[in-house]
Amino acid sequence: MALATDDQILARYRDAEAPLLPLLHAFHERDHCLTSSALRAVATALRIPLADLWGTVSFYHHFAREGETRSAPRICTGPICSLRGAHERVAAMAGEGATAMPCSGRCDQPIPALVGDRSMTFAGSRLVPAPRSPLPAPNPGGLEECVFAGIRAPDRGTMAGYLASGGGRGLERARGLEPAALLDELEAAGLAGRGGAGFPTARKWRAVREAAGEAKVVVCNADEGEPGCFKDRALMDHDPLALIEGMAIAALATGATLGFIYLRYEYPETLDVLDRALTEARAAGMIGGAFEIHLRRGAGAYICGEETSLLNSLEGKHPFPRNRPPFPVTHGYRDRPTAVNNVETLCSVAPILARGAAWYRGLGLGGQAGTKVISLSGDVLRPGNYEVPLGFPLARLIHDWAGGLPAGRTLQAVTMAGLSGGFLGAEDVAEVTLDEPSIRARGSFLGAGGIMVFDSSRDMVAVAREAMAFFAHESCGKCFPCRIGSQRLTERLGFESGPTDQVEWRREIDEIARTMKATSACGLGIAAPLVAESLIRLFPGAVTEKFQEREAR
Amino acid sequence: MSNPLADMEKPDVIFCIGTNMTECHPVAATRLKRALAAGARMIVADPRRIRLAEIADLYLPIRVGSDVALLLAMAHVIEREGLVDQDFVAERTEGFAAFRDHVRAFTPEWAAAICGVPAADIEQAAIWYASAERGAIYYTLGITEHICGVDNVQSLSNLVLMTGHIGREGTGINPMRGQNNIQGAGDCGALPNNYPGFQPVDDPRNQEKFSKLWGREISAERGPTKVTALAGAGDRFRAFLIAGENTVVSDPDRAHCEHALRSLDHLVVIDIFPTETAMLADVVLPATSWAETDGVCTNTERRVQRLRAAVPPIGMAKPDWWIIAQLAKRLGFAGFDWTGPDQVFNELCSVSPIYAGLDWDRIDRGEYQWPVPSRDHPGTPILHEGSFPRGRGLFKQVTLRDPAEVVDADYPVWLTTGRRLESYHTRTQTGRAAGIDYLLPEEVLEVHPDDVAAWRLVDGEKARMSSPRGSVTIRIKATRRSPRGTVFCSFSFDDTPVNLLTGSGYDPITQTAELKVCPVRIEAI
Amino acid sequence: MSTTEGPTIELDGEVVAYEPGETLYQIATRARREVPTLCYDPRLEAFGGCRLCVVEVEGIRNPVASCTTQATPGMKVRSSTPALEGHRRTILELVASENRQIEVDPLSGHSSGEFAALARRYELRPGRFAGRKSGASRHDDDNPFILRDYDQCISCYRCVRVCAEREGDYAISVVNRGFATQISTEFGGLLKDSACTFCGQCVQTCPTGALADRKALRAVDLPEPIAKTRSVCTYCGVGCSVDIVTKGERVVGVQPAMDGPANLGALCIKGQFAFDFVQHDDRLKTPLVRRDGELVPASWDEALDRAAAGFRAVVDQHGPEALYAIASGRAPHEASYALQKLMRAGWGLNHIDNCSRA
Repeated sequence: MALATDDQILARYRDAEAPLLPLLHAFHERDHCLTSSALRAVATALRIPLADLWGTVSFYHHFAREGETRSAPRICTGPICSLRGAHERVAAMAGEGATAMPCSGRCDQPIPALVGDRSMTFAGSRLVPAPRSPLPAPNPGGLEECVFAGIRAPDRGTMAGYLASGGGRGLERARGLEPAALLDELEAAGLAGRGGAGFPTARKWRAVREAAGEAKVVVCNADEGEPGCFKDRALMDHDPLALIEGMAIAALATGATLGFIYLRYEYPETLDVLDRALTEARAAGMIGGAFEIHLRRGAGAYICGEETSLLNSLEGKHPFPRNRPPFPVTHGYRDRPTAVNNVETLCSVAPILARGAAWYRGLGLGGQAGTKVISLSGDVLRPGNYEVPLGFPLARLIHDWAGGLPAGRTLQAVTMAGLSGGFLGAEDVAEVTLDEPSIRARGSFLGAGGIMVFDSSRDMVAVAREAMAFFAHESCGKCFPCRIGSQRLTERLGFESGPTDQVEWRREIDEIARTMKATSACGLGIAAPLVAESLIRLFPGAVTEKFQEREAR
Repeated sequence: MSNPLADMEKPDVIFCIGTNMTECHPVAATRLKRALAAGARMIVADPRRIRLAEIADLYLPIRVGSDVALLLAMAHVIEREGLVDQDFVAERTEGFAAFRDHVRAFTPEWAAAICGVPAADIEQAAIWYASAERGAIYYTLGITEHICGVDNVQSLSNLVLMTGHIGREGTGINPMRGQNNIQGAGDCGALPNNYPGFQPVDDPRNQEKFSKLWGREISAERGPTKVTALAGAGDRFRAFLIAGENTVVSDPDRAHCEHALRSLDHLVVIDIFPTETAMLADVVLPATSWAETDGVCTNTERRVQRLRAAVPPIGMAKPDWWIIAQLAKRLGFAGFDWTGPDQVFNELCSVSPIYAGLDWDRIDRGEYQWPVPSRDHPGTPILHEGSFPRGRGLFKQVTLRDPAEVVDADYPVWLTTGRRLESYHTRTQTGRAAGIDYLLPEEVLEVHPDDVAAWRLVDGEKARMSSPRGSVTIRIKATRRSPRGTVFCSFSFDDTPVNLLTGSGYDPITQTAELKVCPVRIEAI
Repeated sequence: MSTTEGPTIELDGEVVAYEPGETLYQIATRARREVPTLCYDPRLEAFGGCRLCVVEVEGIRNPVASCTTQATPGMKVRSSTPALEGHRRTILELVASENRQIEVDPLSGHSSGEFAALARRYELRPGRFAGRKSGASRHDDDNPFILRDYDQCISCYRCVRVCAEREGDYAISVVNRGFATQISTEFGGLLKDSACTFCGQCVQTCPTGALADRKALRAVDLPEPIAKTRSVCTYCGVGCSVDIVTKGERVVGVQPAMDGPANLGALCIKGQFAFDFVQHDDRLKTPLVRRDGELVPASWDEALDRAAAGFRAVVDQHGPEALYAIASGRAPHEASYALQKLMRAGWGLNHIDNCSRA
């Protein structure tokens, strides 16, 4: 088949909603990089200043520039993959143009890589196509689930299989309800955002519904960029129609006519799954007509998981976070009232409508409403996604459900919220339950629900440095404390520069961390110092050892 | 300008015609760009695909000298589509009925054939402009430097009167003045038809007033224009005093101009540089320059502002007013006993009603835009709010005329001239600024790439360009900025004296030269 | 200030009225609080990047950027507390840690001393937060106007924003992200190959001298103090207000007046950089008279006498109708007024025009 011409590519997307990313991807796929002539064509077609486009493209990790190729292997060097020697893999394949990529959301799998649009994994030193993402294991505790309840049904990803296993009933009920009643039901269920911020979903949707302006928008945030999180991928790969049904219900509740799924670059197979599911959903009348959903693919930027950066990215702007207020509920996509929700949140909506608020609320423990999917990885026997009741003891998840640590190892630390919650130590793990009040009381937070487990053999200072390097790599560069602070913290945790005296070293870290937490413009900079702070708090001995090693050198 | 510069950020529809604003008035253009960023729509009519055309919502690449056809057809469409502001026409104008009948013949299809742009685009432009909440017109020498310059301006004025886009914020008809104090030269009465403050010399009341004021009978006859005077140099006119103009290079038909000045009995030039014109003089008097002179200037929005000296004069240079006063005294004239620029300016204020509320101290911060008729008046940012100077605005029945010369077998190419961002006029100043050469080392002739090929020219090589008045050699630059059949260059560089070629004709009323149209022949050498 | 009508906030315990839509920064500045900032230029949309202007608002856990936070009635705001001052100093020390130097020559540009002034005010501790530096100066850009010394860049993006929001050229943008962020033209080329028009607005808003006025910096070694004289640009009819920058009797540069009514801090390449003609060697320094066909220097008396005599001779032979004067659109009012008065009050004629017809 002949390659598409510039004009064909431009004609396909130039008048579409949110055209920049699909245009760039189309050229990127055709040419294996973004050539200067392609950028000129896109800039002219979309009337974007060329310098702006150049800057915006450079913001994304995965766009190969002229002279590079997108087919060169990108090897995941996320926290868990690093422990397994990912950096050594990159070095070994440097001759093939291999480069590192931040956590690509397969922490429960062997080290993944991307080659073009294929997810790969290692067979010895060779890259081979990776298997499909694993289906969540049956609930080890036999507890009732919400988002995973139907996911294991046969052919769940097809409309026939979806309807046969109970799908579609939420939307059916929602269509019979007034929007106010629909919102009341969600409110009664106590559903809150599962992407990390925990904002009550009904309140968000009500604000969108009540905001001035027609043409409201629902955006699914599927930019699952938090290291150690891979739950949204599992939900989308195995139950895409639940997400679409949830979005259709969101449209009814908010009055939205336009929807987007913003999917992270690193999930190419998921892109196909969603594309097929959207086609089926259109054919079945689940969407289309009054509410259309467009699938948009990110290009590698953690900050685009922050909702206002995501909106800027959709709009083709430089993906800096926006200043708030105004909030997306009144001024979101192209200044239209917009509900931005995480995949898991949206997947929860249809079951709640189908089975009722009281049912959902009752799934939680100890006064907590509902469930949460935890992506558990690292030094445990059975890493994977687990849907737990909120309020469930973390120790039980690790030791009972996931089989505990490998024989002979003891738990040293876990990360929370993927990475941005910093570390909890063994004592915390023994006591904490999986809900925000319990975890926040220990100076961390549950967030998106990624938990990485580190046994006692792990060098926690090195883990912390890697984590901080990730935040520095992903800092957008808009605000000073995060842009410079994350870099300086990385340098200090790696002992590249900074005071040689430990007291002074700690004072600098403390000052940077305090100022980052207080003054950063978005959650990235506010959360990033937790890694450094919790390291120093939990593992002062490990830090002192590093200083001693350094002196010995 | 009828409206202030600040208003350029406020229209919802902008119509630019014959103005290369991003190069000639770059800071004013930034305001239009901000209006666009805030959602305004812009129509640009210009033979060349200038930067303004690139950022326009609708670009009308009209043939040089066809503005009247475009504007008549726009009036036709506005009338046909029922977009006339009937209340405004009834309350503020006269002559509409006849004008309406007049424009019925001038369809967009008729204009399309003349202008070389699609009729649908002409319709679109008319509909956008007329439907605007706040429509504003901006123009420069692309409108006035034609034998039909007055017709062009009146055609624009007709559009304004039909739509009522005048006398309100963000609207108006706005010529952009090209020199820092060209507006001021007029304000001060350096015109053959007006005393200071645009008081006509042929009004007996003004004649009486100034004759009395200055203690001698002053002619009630309009003086000749510069063009007439240059044409009669050596004959009817025998002595010239030229202050700060490099006439030889800036004016059309350079050979004729140089000959005229050489044939004078006496030429005195006041300038800051030994210009080509100064070199022809009998006496050259060195004036202080910008940064050495205290004084006043008026910008294109009629804002009266102070110039301040930052350094002492170079050599023996003196301020113009001092030089002229000394000359006057030597000629035995009274009333030239000023001791400072403040006295000169205050005297101007005392004789000019539009400056009556001003004096040297009051303009210190530049917040006044004339007219300022009294001391308690805040100034007039927006003209024509309640009425026009003549009362009602008059529709004029303009018809299309060909340029003085049109392309033919001998001279088959349209040359249009203009300016470039980095150079100013004849480069007496910018040519002496370090670094400008980095961006603009020499003049080039902009030719469409297909024409470069068709005419067997070579991009980057020199070619000869000729008109009936002369020829120059100039380097060819292939660019799609020029349309097929039309070429462009500036007159800034002395070694490509393109005004040897121009000077085909003058507007009969203003005697402005047709510098924007000159049929030429281009040959490889 | 009225406190009875319109909304108010409580600023450091004082009730302050404000106009709806005003930000906390605007209100605080008006109330003479010296809130530090590096990314703020009142002509630009508030950006909220430097975070120096953070203030404490009762009921909000973290300090908020005052430049991007609109006041709401009754807000209780503290503009300076030990915690805030500590954060401000830490941020400034972080900024200082990635720059080559703090003090720069004020010839660099209008705002070039802003960072140094804050560094002095907050008594930054040298060497604090030392580490890698992020700048990548473009010494290869040989344009004669704009120095691109990005070793001094603090990524406040005022240059990028002024280019987009004020100049409308969009010639430069932000490339890469985080600590790797750079300011760049499209494809990383030279300014002359970009959409840049060398208006100099980026230079004049830069708070560190990273973008600097190369022409003014030629005078860096002149010993005299810098003086500025407010005037109006000498080129087109827009009438931009400028400050003529001098050292002693030398014009060394031009800076735009940020409050100039016609330009609000904007200039173009001509107004910004084409000033050397004033003290160029080619200037006419003495009167010249033609003697034996040659123009030769003369005294004022001789030249004026010759000029007057020539006019008198023509009038004697042909009458005053043979005289004509052309005034300049480049000279100030006083020149044009004097010249038309000469023709009218002297000879009773309207034989005067100006150069507007060409």
